[in-house]
Amino acid sequence: MNGSICLSCEAIERYLGEEESRVHALRGVSLDLEPGSIHAVVGPSGCGKSTLLYILGLLDPPDAGRVSIESEAMSHLGDDDLARKRNQLIGFIFQFHFLMEDFSAQENVMIPMRRLGRLSDEAMRERAAVLLGAVGLGDKLRRPSRHLSGGEQQRVAIARALANDPRVILADEPTGNLDSATGASIMELIRELNAAGATIVMITHDAGLADRLPRQIRLLDGQVVSDSATEEAP
Amino acid sequence: MSPPLYIALRFLSHRKRALLLSLSGVVFGVGIFICTQAQTQGFARYFIDSTIGSNGALIIRSRFRPRYKALMVAGKSSNANAAHRLYFEGITDANQIMRVSRRFSNVVSCSPVLRGQLSARAGFENATVDLFGIDPVLHSQTTDLLHELIAGSFDDFRNNTSSVIVGSRLAEELGVDIGDTVQLLSPGGEYWRFTVAAIARAGVGSIDSTRIYSHARVAQTLLQKPFGASMIIYKLRDPDRAPALADHFENLFQHVSTSWQEREESTLQLFLMLRVSAGITVSLIILLAGFGIFNVLTMSVLAKVKEIAILRSMGYRRIDISAIFLWQGALVAAAGSVLGCLLGALMTWGVGHIPIRIRGLLYANHFLVTWDWRHYFWATVLAIVAVFIASYVPARRAAELAPVVTLRGSSV
Repeated sequence: MNGSICLSCEAIERYLGEEESRVHALRGVSLDLEPGSIHAVVGPSGCGKSTLLYILGLLDPPDAGRVSIESEAMSHLGDDDLARKRNQLIGFIFQFHFLMEDFSAQENVMIPMRRLGRLSDEAMRERAAVLLGAVGLGDKLRRPSRHLSGGEQQRVAIARALANDPRVILADEPTGNLDSATGASIMELIRELNAAGATIVMITHDAGLADRLPRQIRLLDGQVVSDSATEEAP
Repeated sequence: MSPPLYIALRFLSHRKRALLLSLSGVVFGVGIFICTQAQTQGFARYFIDSTIGSNGALIIRSRFRPRYKALMVAGKSSNANAAHRLYFEGITDANQIMRVSRRFSNVVSCSPVLRGQLSARAGFENATVDLFGIDPVLHSQTTDLLHELIAGSFDDFRNNTSSVIVGSRLAEELGVDIGDTVQLLSPGGEYWRFTVAAIARAGVGSIDSTRIYSHARVAQTLLQKPFGASMIIYKLRDPDRAPALADHFENLFQHVSTSWQEREESTLQLFLMLRVSAGITVSLIILLAGFGIFNVLTMSVLAKVKEIAILRSMGYRRIDISAIFLWQGALVAAAGSVLGCLLGALMTWGVGHIPIRIRGLLYANHFLVTWDWRHYFWATVLAIVAVFIASYVPARRAAELAPVVTLRGSSV
């Protein structure tokens, strides 16, 4: 495997459901993601985009195939080790932001840092304030997340995804639930993250949005049907 | 602060009604447990203190001699359980036994008593009495007789051999007061006149309604006994060790020795049964509180499915998720136990001040309670165990939730 690969998966197979309702969600999917790259995963509903994202994010084990982060195979790791890797190396951004509603914006951003346990409480607060300031919420640190607008909540989710300075950010339709103006500002933020060196995999339904990203991976019926990176390759 | 503890605190602080419900169950369970144990043990303790105070922690009675069964030929009709001792009434060498037994470290003091049943008469009232012929000085050192006096003077009794101390309920029955005359009927059919020098209340009905104290020498003449003592009663430093000492004395002196535990076995068993019964009833309250917590936490797990999935996606392990819910239970148990102990102490104090007229087995004018740290300890242990069991299942269920199912369900 190439040493410059940040995240890769190889021959991933995944079945969902049981017996008669069993679906072959992913069929031999392989990907290599370079550090600092940004990728759009596109495809119709039910093609396996989210399933792929959860497998790449070590949330869901594949039935076959393997996932590696920075050349380290994850397949043999137990649940606790996978959780630790997820905490250290991966940041998630979900379509519905998934914040802890009763927690303030600052506390939400501190949740991954608490698990990592490398910073003092004061240092965690400071870092959360810096991250929230970077996404334009420096004045709303103490506000409960349920009192924030949809766009603001998604910004908090982005700040939270960056909390532990992850190698990879996995975004599941981060603008899917936002109006176009807010969505555009969130996209801008994601581009800035990428420009700063973050590797980003983003699922989207928005073809226009995907077209603006350098690499597109198209899934259909659980298979990669096109990958702009391989198509461009000589 | 560990991340699960922090999150548990935050979850609890945002579900105040559920928290209050869980907490109140534990608080009342612990409080009522402590209060009922304090009451039931209070009556038992009072009885034990009174009976030891009046009759001593240990009693030596009749002399015995083993039957040498090996030399006896059993007849066809002989009873296999026939007594293998020969008993001889009274203690002829009381002073010698007392001198030896005083050398035992557990013995504080001892007093010889000549005991006999007589008929008493005062005016037109008659009663059967239990006469205790005592040495006033030794007996006052060995028992709580001095503290039991509710009228009259012990000195008047000590200085006048024709005076007696009468049990409080017996005095009421005979209608006598200090300075009145009581006549005791000797086995020879003669009435002996005594002046009531004092009235004593031991607090135990069976003692107060029958007992009369007289001087030992007078009692010996009155009862026409050839021996000076029918029993020796002992005051011990550690009354809980009385059974072992009784066994030792029995072997050493060849006299029947009975500890207070053996003597009052039936009454003590009654108190124990009451305590266990009350304990079981109140434990059910704590278990019900645990069931309430089980429901609250189960609902909490269902309500926090999304949060659990979020935490898992951010790298929280299964053990962290279950710890969040176990911590919630632990916090409820800890706070509930502390508040429950305070409530229990308050209730015990309150119950101890409820006026109630008890004139039966015991004499009391209010509820008798005892203050024992073990009640608080066991109530807390019970609460913690019940809450842990109640929290474990929801916590485990939370840990086993697959985050992807929640995330996928929300994002499709």
